Amino acid sequence: MFSATTGLMSMTALLFLLISCTVSEGPVWQYTFEQPSHFSPATYTFENNPVTREGFELGRMLFYDPVLSADSTVSCSTCHKQVTGFADPTHKINHGINNRLGKRNSPGLANMAFKTSFFYDGGVSHLDFVPINAITSEVEMGSTLDEVVQRLNNNSVYRSKFRKAFGKDAVDSQQMLHALAQFTVMLVSANSKYDKVIRGEDKFSSLEEEGYTLFQSKCSACHTSPMFTDGSFRNNGLDDTFIKDPGREVVTGLDSDRGKFSVPSLRNVELTLPYMHDGRLRTLEDVLNHYTSSVKGSPTLDPLLENETSRGIAMTHDEKQKIIAFLKTLTDTQFINEKRFADPF
Amino acid sequence: MKNIISVFMYALVFVLVISCSEDDNKEFGSLELEFDNVVGEADLELNTSDEPYTNEAGETYAITSLRYYISNIKLKRNDGTVYEDEMSADGSKGYYLIDEAEGETQHIELEGIPAGDYTEITFTIGVDANQVTEGAQTGPLDPAKGMFWSWKSGYVFVAVEGTSSSSSDDDNIILYHVGGYDTPNNIKTKTLPMGSAAAQVRGDKTPEVHVIADVNKFFASPHEISFEELPVRHMPADNVTIAENYVNAFVVDHVHN
Repeated sequence: MFSATTGLMSMTALLFLLISCTVSEGPVWQYTFEQPSHFSPATYTFENNPVTREGFELGRMLFYDPVLSADSTVSCSTCHKQVTGFADPTHKINHGINNRLGKRNSPGLANMAFKTSFFYDGGVSHLDFVPINAITSEVEMGSTLDEVVQRLNNNSVYRSKFRKAFGKDAVDSQQMLHALAQFTVMLVSANSKYDKVIRGEDKFSSLEEEGYTLFQSKCSACHTSPMFTDGSFRNNGLDDTFIKDPGREVVTGLDSDRGKFSVPSLRNVELTLPYMHDGRLRTLEDVLNHYTSSVKGSPTLDPLLENETSRGIAMTHDEKQKIIAFLKTLTDTQFINEKRFADPF
Repeated sequence: MKNIISVFMYALVFVLVISCSEDDNKEFGSLELEFDNVVGEADLELNTSDEPYTNEAGETYAITSLRYYISNIKLKRNDGTVYEDEMSADGSKGYYLIDEAEGETQHIELEGIPAGDYTEITFTIGVDANQVTEGAQTGPLDPAKGMFWSWKSGYVFVAVEGTSSSSSDDDNIILYHVGGYDTPNNIKTKTLPMGSAAAQVRGDKTPEVHVIADVNKFFASPHEISFEELPVRHMPADNVTIAENYVNAFVVDHVHN
């Protein structure tokens, strides 16, 4: 009896090992959030919404499903495409149901777990609340939370998936927002060439190295590593009146915030065109040219872009090319190819 | 084996004895809290065909919707001890959305209150900052309730909407959505005496505390509000005056024992 049991156990163990060997080609994808060692600690409230396989996969479905929009034509992925770092290179500004257009550019999505404010004006202070804007915006999904939740409750596939993920009988907006956050919080981009260089796994080319040095003296005061943003709101001189879009002033009501927009992360910046809050600039050259020659003055213009004699940032053509070579090292090909982030339908 | 059983039995007896001795002295009851919305002497009526109400500035108006959050309810007993309504971190307990259009929301049943005579009630008009910084909430704080701002994360504490022929808005709308938990902070806490009769909570007696909120006072004192000036207000800074007014609109009208 004794030996029979042991024998059975050994057989099972052997079988398990054999199976493990056959399937383990490369690291197994974990449905848990992994903190990159060279990043500051994540700010997301995981204690209220721990990532699970069921929750993540449900969030992924919701992200790619037009069920969230009023006429079922627009999903999150309509404007946030994985192949371009979850940005939208085909539109300057946000667009939605019935071909409506908004006024802000769709930014790339990455490393939201580390952010404390969202959107160009920083009006949203928690990742959970981010989808509410897109769902309820008349120029995006044009729906209401009530309507979407009702739709999910009427869908037996979703109802069952929500039950498995959250263990509740009915879907509410909290569960929907938590599922979406479980997907988006996992969109961590920390494997670009830059990251590999920082971790000592790779080396910059001499052009990239020179670009990195220039970047540190000309750009990193605002685009601070490792997120390549300092999380602040600044007026970078795109306009002198900001009548069309006053930026952060809309949220704070303060004149001193007029024309200020969040400093975007530069991760995957090569792919996340077009640039600026209204998508007015098409290429990285255009962006650097703006900083050298088109910065407009106004009372809230960032002090870093103005001194007594001139405006903007001085860069030669050659320096710009080097900086762009460095910026391209922030492209994370593993991130844009990760199958777990792709369309599940 | 025998030893384990006897130790277990002793422990069981011990637990039972302690439970009994605690229960002997404690009796618990319930209290019903009613939020009744009025305008001056009249009961608030929504969606009237005319403008039956008049503010301090002499402007007539009608109300189409009134909703507000009450939370952090505390009851003080005549011996100084305080009962605190249970609050849950996910918003499912301790937060109440009073909606004039839904009568049942105006009755709050508080349970598990130690028996005694309660002389004072304290509550918050609004929602704590934590309920925003901790992410999506459920129950009365579910953002789908329509009291959550998408443009600036946070709850609308008090939403009063209506019409006034004095309003400078094109459609004569008056709309005050009061929120803001940082700068400015419009969260208000109100402590009210029960009045001449304490609320007597007993195991077999559930007192009813009748709170009234007078909408006219939202626009009266200390800041007289005219519907001509900024009749539609969303910004927390624009609503500081309304918040400082409505904190004075709540009184305990009477207690049924």
